[in-house]
Order: sequence, then C-alpha cells, then structure tokens
Amino acid sequence: MAKSNQERIEERAAILKPLKEELIRRLTLDYKPEDIHEDVSLLGAGLGLDSLDALEVVMCIEAVTGVKVPDGRPEILRSLNSIVDFVLEKRGA
Amino acid sequence: MRTATLTAALKAKGTAIDINGVETITTYGDSATEYNFVRNSVGITDFSHQRLYRVPEETGIDYLDELFPGNVAQLRFGRVLHTFLPDSEGNVVADCFVCNNDDEILILCESAVSDEELDAIFAEAGGEDAGLTVLNDTHSIVGIDGAMAFKPMKEIFGTDILGLLYLSIERYDFEGTEVGVIRGGKTGEFGYLVIAEHDVAVKFAENILGRVEKLGGGLVGRAAHDILRLDGRFFNITAEGVEVRDPLKLGLQWMIDFEKDSFRGSEPLLARRKAGLTEKIVGIVAPKGTAGFAVGAPLYIDGALCGKIAAANYSPVLDSEVGLALLTVGKAYASLDLTLNSADGVAVLSVTMPPFTPKSLSVKLDEL
Repeated sequence: MAKSNQERIEERAAILKPLKEELIRRLTLDYKPEDIHEDVSLLGAGLGLDSLDALEVVMCIEAVTGVKVPDGRPEILRSLNSIVDFVLEKRGA
Repeated sequence: MRTATLTAALKAKGTAIDINGVETITTYGDSATEYNFVRNSVGITDFSHQRLYRVPEETGIDYLDELFPGNVAQLRFGRVLHTFLPDSEGNVVADCFVCNNDDEILILCESAVSDEELDAIFAEAGGEDAGLTVLNDTHSIVGIDGAMAFKPMKEIFGTDILGLLYLSIERYDFEGTEVGVIRGGKTGEFGYLVIAEHDVAVKFAENILGRVEKLGGGLVGRAAHDILRLDGRFFNITAEGVEVRDPLKLGLQWMIDFEKDSFRGSEPLLARRKAGLTEKIVGIVAPKGTAGFAVGAPLYIDGALCGKIAAANYSPVLDSEVGLALLTVGKAYASLDLTLNSADGVAVLSVTMPPFTPKSLSVKLDEL
C-alpha cells in the first residue's frame, strides 16, 4: 500500500535531521540545520565543499544511516535530497 | 535603453526586447532547441544585460564586504564569490558574482530592477569613494555553456583552461588582447563567462560560434536559460526571485556568511532567521501540458492549502512541466503528492531538484 504524505514526510525528516546535524559537526559549517536547504548543491556550487569534504560526507551518510555509498556515483552526493532518495531506495522504502 | 555592442551584433539573428531598460535577446527562434544545445552540446549566450562593475582591489574589499552577505574579505585572488545584493530589509535585489581579479574586483549583477536602481544602491554604500566604475559602456559578457563547453574553450585558450576551477577567474589572451574568463555557469553543465571589450567580445563570439556549430550547438537566448536554471535548480532572480525575495525562503543561506558582523539589511534578515522559517522553495513536476501549472497557482496537500507555484516552465529534458513551489515549511519535502488549484485538482509531485543528472557530472576534466 502506498505511503501517505505524512509518512513520507516523517521518513525523510528522520534521515535529514541527523544528517544535517552530523554534516555541520563534521565539517564545522557555520550553519544551523534549517539553514541548509535540502536541494542545495553540496559540492562545487552551493555549499562549495571540495573532494576531501566529499569523503567526510560519505562517512557521515554511512554513520547516520548505515547505508554504504558506492564509488563512482557522484550524483548521490549532489544534495541532501539526493542522499535521502538514495538511502530510501537502498532500504527499499 | 542600454544596448551592448555584442547584443547589437547578434540581435539581427534573434528577438530582442527591453527588459528593465536593457535590450536583451530572448530567443534565436526556438527556446527548446537552444535549451538542447546546452544540455547536449554548447550554447553561446549574450549575458551583457548583467550590470558589470569594477572597483580597485585596494579599496574594494572593505567596501564590498560591508555591502554583500557573502564574505568578500576572505575572497582570495582568482576566486569568485557567488552571493547576492540585498536591499535594506535583507531581501534579494541582484544575483552576483564578486570576482577577485588580482588588482581589481569585478562584480557581475543580474537583477530584476533597472541599471539606475542598482547603481543607486552601490552609490549609497560609498561607491564613488571606493573608486567603483561601471564597465558596461566598454565591455560585453559572453556565456559559453554546455556539456561540451570545455572543447571550444580549450581550442581557443589552450589546455590550461581545463584547470580553471568552478568559481574562479583568470586572464587569458585572445588574439593579442587580454580577456577575463570566469568558470561559473548556472545550468548544471559546464559554464564560462568571457568578459571582454566590446569589439573583442564580438570577435570572440564569432570565433567560438563557428566552433560550437561544428559541435551541434549554437546561439542561445535568455528564455532558454530560464528553463536551464529552473530544471537545473539554479536561482533565477527574474523568475522565482521576483515572486519570493527573502533569501531564507529561497534556500540561499549558502550565499550568506552568518559569522559576519553586518552587511546591508543584515539586522532584519538575521531577525527573520532567528524567528524561524515559515515557508520554503521545493521543486515540483507535472505532466506536460498540465492546465493551470503557472506562477501563482495554489497547491494543496491532503485537501489543505499548502502553498503556491513560484516558477514554472516546460522542461525539454524531462518532457514535463517543472516548477518551484513556495510551501509551508512542514510540508516542504520532496516526494509528496500535491494537487493544483483545488483539493481535488490535477496531481503535482514534489521532487528532488534537479530531477535528472546533467551530462557534465560524468565528465572528468582532469582526465581529458
């Protein structure tokens, strides 16, 4: 049975909140969690993270969600929303 | 009305209209074709509608740092800061590139207001004392965007151009004349801006157009860039930036250094941040030709009003309608089923933006 909108909101929020908090902590970003829009580009444009930061983002995803990020899939790290989409896909949600 | 020399040279091939007092080429015939030039090949665009300022580096850093929410004081030589020009309430007036070009700072401003209104803001902040000058009388701006944009740029400027980092500026030689090249497109594909004196810009555009046409690309107007920015999820001051002016609702916090003591409009902006967001922008898609999918149309979730459309267009790459919606913050999530215009209206889906993977993401320039 298809999930309700409220279930989908809760599912995404449950990943986004700790993910944002952990990213801010690990990368010492001068933001509050609500400052980071879910579609903002993490690498290059937007937050402007570099390739070293990208490794930190990958470790952050794995620590927060338990989902391993494969190599050679740069599109996963494009934004918080793309990360959440990937995590939900891997969980078969 | 201001008409750049490059615009005058190209407008016979396209449709030019007056936008905020600046003659601007909107299309060369078919925006969908022009859009595909960029997504699949290369597009050449006249970006001379942007207001272009120069200020000496020596006096410009402090002057600009007090004006912009981004941290100009920490802008290193050769780097470009993407930030916005705020009004006195901290709302967005112009989408700006602030470029540290060694002994000078160049500021490129794209706005939905007239040149005169922009000039007044810079003047009020002490532009004359800082040595600020307007370059639009002498310079034009050429955009080179696309999945293969690096190819003609490499042919003209050499392999060195492949090392130009995103949001960097460098001086290059073009037929014996120095031009400024910025890497910083707003399409999701590779993008460069070439700043050159008028006559040089016209020669450069002619030169690169010949190369681009061999790659299956061509001239691109502003209308195609409106679509490219929307489905590529780049801020567009002349689209959603007209409907929503609060940078916090627009998701532009990344353009702001919240550690700075102050900047134009910082007090009201920081007060809004402290009070908390009530609405924010989210991507949406609907089937091609969905009636009523337009700016201002209300959106509903589970029977209740939750926001409105702030930008809308047809995306050739998605073959569907794409937009940005301003939704109440508790409902501002991707993957939700919304309805258009009424509780039982046509289905609209909120999505992760951009809802496709640009071709440029799979190209590794350092391996070319």
